[in-house]
Amino acid sequence: MLVVLVAAVASLLLGRWPRARIGVSLAGGAAYAVVVAAIDWYVVLAPDAPGVATYQVGDWPAPFGITLVVDGLSAFMLTMVAVLGIASLVFSTRVLPEIDRRSYYFPLFHFLALGVTGAFLTGDLFNLFVWFEVMLMASYIFVAYYGGPQHTRAAFWYVSLNLLASAVFLLGVGGIYATTGTLNMADLAQRLADPGAYGLEPAPVVGLFALLLSVFAIKAGLVPFQFWIPTAYRAAPPQISALLAGATKKVGIYAIIRLSFTVLADADVPVELAVPGVGTVIAGDSPLAFVGAALFVMAAASILVGGIGAVGRDSIEGVLAYSSIGQVGFIALPVALAATTASAELRHLAVVAALVYALNHTLAKGLLFLAVGAIRSATGTSRLSDLGGLAGRSPPLAIGFFVGSLALVGIPPLSGFFGKFLVFDAAARAESAPLLVLLLVGSLLTIAYATRTWNRSFWGARTDAVEDASVDVVQVGVVLVLATAIVAVGVGFEPVYEFADAAATAALDSEAYVDAVDPVEPDELETGGGEH
Amino acid sequence: MTAVILAAVVGALFALGTFLLLRRDLIRVVWGLAIISQAANVYLLAMGGLAEGTADSVPILAGHGDHVPQTADPLVQALVLTAIVIGFGMTAFALVLSYRVYEEHDTLDVSDLGDRE
Repeated sequence: MLVVLVAAVASLLLGRWPRARIGVSLAGGAAYAVVVAAIDWYVVLAPDAPGVATYQVGDWPAPFGITLVVDGLSAFMLTMVAVLGIASLVFSTRVLPEIDRRSYYFPLFHFLALGVTGAFLTGDLFNLFVWFEVMLMASYIFVAYYGGPQHTRAAFWYVSLNLLASAVFLLGVGGIYATTGTLNMADLAQRLADPGAYGLEPAPVVGLFALLLSVFAIKAGLVPFQFWIPTAYRAAPPQISALLAGATKKVGIYAIIRLSFTVLADADVPVELAVPGVGTVIAGDSPLAFVGAALFVMAAASILVGGIGAVGRDSIEGVLAYSSIGQVGFIALPVALAATTASAELRHLAVVAALVYALNHTLAKGLLFLAVGAIRSATGTSRLSDLGGLAGRSPPLAIGFFVGSLALVGIPPLSGFFGKFLVFDAAARAESAPLLVLLLVGSLLTIAYATRTWNRSFWGARTDAVEDASVDVVQVGVVLVLATAIVAVGVGFEPVYEFADAAATAALDSEAYVDAVDPVEPDELETGGGEH
Repeated sequence: MTAVILAAVVGALFALGTFLLLRRDLIRVVWGLAIISQAANVYLLAMGGLAEGTADSVPILAGHGDHVPQTADPLVQALVLTAIVIGFGMTAFALVLSYRVYEEHDTLDVSDLGDRE
């Protein structure tokens, strides 16, 4: 799995040669996809696959050295990023020649991919922080890429917010190290499951994890940390917005899932929070009860804020950015459900639902952002009031956009249907009426803004901008390929479900994870740090 | 005693950073961010603590004679070093970006920035 990193770095270094830059970048992207596919096969999908593979960097044993881990969950996430990354990369080659002098685009692109990959593969918390930074640094520059007034402003807020988030992340990491004496996730899980053997007092971990949760929620763009998304997504080039929505958001989601279920699930910490006048609102014997409650609130607020916000936007990017907030709510809701439920079966189903929905979101949102990019480079605008009649001007583009919208809404046989279906199924099995109502409202809002965007931009009288448009074939081609992928995932859902199933199993099976990483047992351990 | 002083310093740094972060001047905001991340670094450093140095944890002490000094936890130091480097780069980037904002908007006042679309 180290090959992934090498592929990214190699294409980065070679990317500096001006002439071969595009070709090498594409080759690097292709190599990345091939390696990810190979990992998928050998680690997860092959008949005798181990399920988890680890690489101890420098051959240091687990809690001391840096560990790279790939299991079903990482592999699933990597696959999504690889698919979207390739699409975005091919798309970039068609947008960029006009502004070729900004020559650091492709190396930065690979840096972004590198950061995301590292975050998915790393086995300890501090490296997660470092990979987050790698990923963010590339994304800062992309947000400021066009260099106009609103772009620099958006980038400044984005940078400020993320610097603050990084400081908070460090606080959480430092606190967890002081409390438990380790940062290796497997070691952490092992120690938290049996705090007595290591002589630690695990209660502060809940609060520290709340700090981390807020950081991950910023990355994922959950309400109340959503405010940076609309400006940043509008400022970044569309193909990068596709990656931001499809890949970096998933890093936040991945971190939440990984820490909640692999690390904290077995922790033995009673949690109880009583609100005066209401009584006990959170109670349970594991930090998950708290995580679940917090996620419920954030997810519910995201669905509503995102949906309502999207209905009123006047540019397609604005609609998509807000819709992205809402859709992440749909992903976080089953995660919250999984965290609070006591039934192992329901927890498994809910995680599968979250993963399938995340896959759908990646594909559909990636497609839609790329379609916006195509519209923008064809017509020079993405304001709904300046668009109209695009369907007659470029039927293939219209088909692609249509498929993407329907996948967001969740029409069978597209991938979105299964995502929505599984989320509803999980909510129904939890027998929670408020949840079902919330999901229903969210879905109706999705239908509302999807049809509105569609009607305003693709139907109606052609505007001047659309009449003069010249649509790029390759751009539309990429959009159509993604549309085909959405249909393919929907029609051939069985293997995808199996993959998601394996990913969920991997996410929930912290024992296998710990065994694979194999941290040192308590009796072999001399005095750890963390005494104070 | 050291712990108390460190706690006070961390608290003071966070307070100062937050205060600056809420100012209207963009450069002060960057300063606030820098100070907050330094506060996080100091905090991280304080999390390691001191332990009795033994030949097991620090092999070189085996040939060091009788007076084995206390050793600080090296891991947090490594972590802080990484965090400092990252924080330094980000502060530089934020400063450059604020200069760019000044070029584009002719102002560094946050509330003026917000008004322009």
